[in-house]
Amino acid sequence: MKRLAWIFPVVVTVVAAALFLHEASLRLPIGMWGNALASPTSMDELILVYGTFPRAAVALVAGAALGLSGALLQQLLRNPIADPSTLGISAGAQLAIVVATLFFPEFLDGNRTFVALFGAGAAAAIVFTLAARRAFEPVTMVVSGLLVGVTAAAFSAALTLAQGEYLMSLVTWNGGSLSQQDWSVFQSLSVEFAIAAILSALLLRPLLLLGLGDAGARALGVNLVGIRFAVAAVATALAGFVAAGVGLVSFVGLAAPALVRGMGIRRPAMVVAMSPVAGALLLFLCDGLVQLIASSAGETFPTGAVTALIGGPLLLWLLPRVRTTDLHEKPALMVRPLPFRRGLPLFLLAGMAIIILALAVARNGENWIMLDLNQIADLAPLRWPRLLAASAAGGLLALTGAILQRMTGNAMASPEVIGVSGGAGLGFAAALTFWPLGGALTQLAGAGAGALVVMALVLAFASRRHLPADKLLLAGIAIGSLSSSVLAALMAIGDQRSWQILAWLGGSASTATAGTAMLLAAIAVVGLMVSLFFTRWLAVLPLGAPVARSLGVSVPVSRIVLLLICGIATGAASLLVGPLSFVGLIAPHIALRAGFVRSGDHMTASFLLGAVVMAFADFGARTATFPYELPLGLFAALVGAPYLIWLVARGER
Amino acid sequence: MMSFSRRGVLLGSAALALAGRANAAAPPQRIAAIDWAMLETAVALGVMPVAATELIQFHKDAVEPAIPDNVIDLGLRGSVNLELLHLVKPDLILISPFYTRHEATLSAIAPTLSLPFYVKGEPPFEKALGAVRALGERLGRSQEAAHVETDIRAALETMRQSLARFTDRPTYLVNIGDSRHVRIFGSDSMFGDILVRLGFRNAWPDRSRFTFAAPVPIENLAVERDARIVIVSDIPVEARSRLRSSMIWNALEPVSQGRVLQLPNIAPYGGVTAGMRFARLFAEALQSEGAGR
Repeated sequence: MKRLAWIFPVVVTVVAAALFLHEASLRLPIGMWGNALASPTSMDELILVYGTFPRAAVALVAGAALGLSGALLQQLLRNPIADPSTLGISAGAQLAIVVATLFFPEFLDGNRTFVALFGAGAAAAIVFTLAARRAFEPVTMVVSGLLVGVTAAAFSAALTLAQGEYLMSLVTWNGGSLSQQDWSVFQSLSVEFAIAAILSALLLRPLLLLGLGDAGARALGVNLVGIRFAVAAVATALAGFVAAGVGLVSFVGLAAPALVRGMGIRRPAMVVAMSPVAGALLLFLCDGLVQLIASSAGETFPTGAVTALIGGPLLLWLLPRVRTTDLHEKPALMVRPLPFRRGLPLFLLAGMAIIILALAVARNGENWIMLDLNQIADLAPLRWPRLLAASAAGGLLALTGAILQRMTGNAMASPEVIGVSGGAGLGFAAALTFWPLGGALTQLAGAGAGALVVMALVLAFASRRHLPADKLLLAGIAIGSLSSSVLAALMAIGDQRSWQILAWLGGSASTATAGTAMLLAAIAVVGLMVSLFFTRWLAVLPLGAPVARSLGVSVPVSRIVLLLICGIATGAASLLVGPLSFVGLIAPHIALRAGFVRSGDHMTASFLLGAVVMAFADFGARTATFPYELPLGLFAALVGAPYLIWLVARGER
Repeated sequence: MMSFSRRGVLLGSAALALAGRANAAAPPQRIAAIDWAMLETAVALGVMPVAATELIQFHKDAVEPAIPDNVIDLGLRGSVNLELLHLVKPDLILISPFYTRHEATLSAIAPTLSLPFYVKGEPPFEKALGAVRALGERLGRSQEAAHVETDIRAALETMRQSLARFTDRPTYLVNIGDSRHVRIFGSDSMFGDILVRLGFRNAWPDRSRFTFAAPVPIENLAVERDARIVIVSDIPVEARSRLRSSMIWNALEPVSQGRVLQLPNIAPYGGVTAGMRFARLFAEALQSEGAGR
């Protein structure tokens, strides 16, 4: 332990306790507490005993549970940035609760814990399965977790939207609230935490032996699979319990072990043992601040929305500590290279099909009908801009994905991951907040500015000399997570603009006009041409930095130029159709599998594939639940998610 | 099987509608209402729009006015089905400043009329009446608008007098979010505005706290101990049992003394119809529950 490191927890404890005492004594002077605890009668006494005290207790036990969960996951995965929020486990629990609220509200009442556990477990299973194929490599794991989180959030937003206002209360989920009206949450949570803590204590020794390496552990008679599964189950369950009890409280599990290590505690057993303490103190402190803001400024934030704000900066701070195994190996995928012109007819065919489908087919509420020429002409002014805008956006996102995947050698790289979409969302929210009557142009300008600022931050990060490409992705995630947590906080305090933020997050091409569609198409074509100019870099960069250097490619310069292209492309696409998921991830994969391995072919094929996929998604989004339009993002995710699952099922990459 | 789907008919009738557009001087005939408050206002003036948004939800949340089945559902308020709107060939689209983002797109289809109902911190009732007048003028129905306004003011006055014996209690107007949180209607809400016009004092002195996430912890309702609590709209199913067993909720004096009134669903961001629906339901609840409330 570092000298004087003990001062830090002492100060935090004192501050948090002072905040609590301040808040509680506003309710009732401390001298009268004894009476209140013995027999609460007045409203102030009741609130103190059934509101203020249980709230503090819940903050402590929920923080401890998250801290323990994070510490277990980090020890298990040997990954300092693992926690229920970065691995998508909390988001999975959130989605399960949203779905249950929507479709089985009676069941949810009383079965909240079960529902949350189910969601958390499903999300954890997906992320662990995805990560298993890359030996639980830290960055891949967190990127997978982020994608699961993005999907969960997209589904949850889409479902909320499709149901209208009725579901307002669901948005509470964007930030867990700790306020209590009796001791029941504390009781169940503390029992659950106690059981989990005992199990953890039993599992701790074998878990630490795993740290010796698989062979060593096996020699000592440790059941590797069983122990891993048990630890993961305990950690996941802890996150589920907290989610069921108080809602989504992000990043406490990330912060707690980091703080413990930051104090100089190195022994793994001590880290796991102290993390619950750190998590409890951290959440207690955050909640104290939230209550101080509420009582002094009158602005009530859910505590979960505030803890989410620490995630982004924390990830950036932890970045240098993440071990990266160099995975720039040969592509595992062996396919027969296919020259681009051989694939061209296929793209033309798909393009024709979607154009006919998009322009000439309609639903009238009961049947699918083919429109006649007059009707096509009548509707074309409404249909072609969104077709064009959706395809251009799809193309740009896929192009970005192809560039990022080649540049980083990480098959999970995609535009969502570099955080530019998040930045655009942040700018959009700022425009809505500061110029509520500014109109579409102000909102576009806000989103554009936000995208550019985030891009500049990512670029600043990238220009650091020794930053491995994988870590770059993480920097993007960190910034993206900061943006989305600010959005969530705004959404929680907001009014009608919450509605607009929600609509934008879902993404819809219907807002595209002829002008914006043409502009986006122009950006797409220019973007593709410019990227093709850098074919050589993208052929060389996947071979790793040393090879690239020896071939005379300046890694920092090429990285900045390519990122600039990616940022502009994603920013432009996000501005017009919202942050769309998965097209940027899957189109490059499919293109590669199809045999377009040469970097130029890969980019062009990804671009075309992305455009076609997105055009189909737009068609689906506007016809599936006619006349209610579904968010485009949801449909894009519906295309992407099955592909990811298929990829997992195949067990290869 | 022969079936006349309303949308199927619609595609064919598009050409007919074109003829109507030529006569620019006549007041608009084919109204499309995107905003719910505007929808209410048009119906109050005796003009049933040909199309409106989210009618399934409107039926559930607003209940009044009843919208006949032949009114075309234009989809979600947040993302209106533009294609369908185009086919409807409206000659006027009714929106409010909430839809500023879509105004350019919508006015490419037909002229729009945007009237403000809810401005941060300002009471909306007069604005809603102003909307009745403004829309009445636009639709060539100024006379009806005047009638509507007179009727509403008279009805409010009658209710004010008959409720006078209840007005000594301050009143909380809330909407239950979950078992720990409520949304509160303040003076800048339709219900809060009407409440004051009926001669009551709103127990919540601030502006409304009405957001997606119910923002106000229930213990904040303890400030005015003599108050009554009026719950506007149904309690979410998943919150019911937890609220019933909540220590704090049950310790609230209005709850323990049985001074809680539950009103059916009313649109929180509605126009005059929603306002009057609230006034009527509130008055009925008070009178049937007795003076103690």
